[in-house]
Amino acid sequence: MEHLISSKDMARFVASGYLKFEDMVPEDLCKACREEMVDFGGYLEVGTPFEETWPKNTALGETFRLPKVKGLIHSLIGPDPVYDHHAAHLVRAQTTRGPDMHQDSVIDFRRNYFDIQLSFFPVDTSDEMGGTFLVPGSHFRNVRTGEIRGYQHVAGKIWATCPAGTMYVWNTRVWHGARSNHTDKDRYMFKLRLNPSSPQIRHFDPTDIDDPEIGRILSTHHRWEGDEHRYEIMKRVELWRYVSDQPDYDIGERFLRRREYQPQNQTNTITN
Amino acid sequence: MGQVQDILVLFQTSPALDVTPVAWARYEASKGTGIKDLIEEENPPYKNAMAAMRDGWQVIQMSEYNHKSEADGYELGPFPYQTVLSRFSEMQPEE
Repeated sequence: MEHLISSKDMARFVASGYLKFEDMVPEDLCKACREEMVDFGGYLEVGTPFEETWPKNTALGETFRLPKVKGLIHSLIGPDPVYDHHAAHLVRAQTTRGPDMHQDSVIDFRRNYFDIQLSFFPVDTSDEMGGTFLVPGSHFRNVRTGEIRGYQHVAGKIWATCPAGTMYVWNTRVWHGARSNHTDKDRYMFKLRLNPSSPQIRHFDPTDIDDPEIGRILSTHHRWEGDEHRYEIMKRVELWRYVSDQPDYDIGERFLRRREYQPQNQTNTITN
Repeated sequence: MGQVQDILVLFQTSPALDVTPVAWARYEASKGTGIKDLIEEENPPYKNAMAAMRDGWQVIQMSEYNHKSEADGYELGPFPYQTVLSRFSEMQPEE
């Protein structure tokens, strides 16, 4: 498989819950996709093999089969991805939005598992156009969909500002929402959610898996963690252990050891 | 038009009144019944609840400490603590 992401990028996905790739989709394909999006709504058959379900001979069909996109999908969820759903999200010109923070779908406790969402921006998306916002690193905090609407502002929140052809990929548990479009142009974001069909272990390029930078990436502060940063690190290390197939991996003070080191549970045989 | 209550909520990872908020929300009834166009803010309006108190806000709720059990002590969810502040402001016509 070509175009696999590096171990460090995989660690960034584990720590921050998203990656951004500019120049993912060529300009002519972006234009064709933008025209198709208007009539590309609706769900296809949820839970079916992506390759069989996703339309062929269309611009959007081609876009999500570009070698770079396939490499990205494979890196995160492995071979034979499963179609979940898609949507062309539209915020019309001069449309304002109030608080909109949410986690998609319904609460999801599955361990050692994540779905991905590819968010494709087919036109240049400026700050004023209201690209989707994300709270990086929030994907270990399960909540019930829109109950977090009350968090109007979160320190470290980011939002999509990008040239046409950019794709964000994110863990579907990341807190996110739509923003106001203060321009005279409609703003589209095309989303495609995919599920894995097998364990998500070492599908990325492991060449740099021993790079010490990975520990620093997993320790990233996104500004909102406050006193709970070490509990976030424990979650990130747990997921990194799984996806990298390193069951004893830990960093720094080794917080997971506080749970795992339990000599009192060893059986001792006392003799005279 | 008289004075009405505005609310400022500071979300925190400790219940103390001198910690930096990690998220925040405004419910300014003096301006209307909801935010129609959320303008992004990079930093909280005050460095902590005590700074807001020095600017005229009254604390009407501070969080209690939560006991953590072995079962949920490592689990994460919504931000665990919040301080609710109140201030009265002159009523304005809603846009």
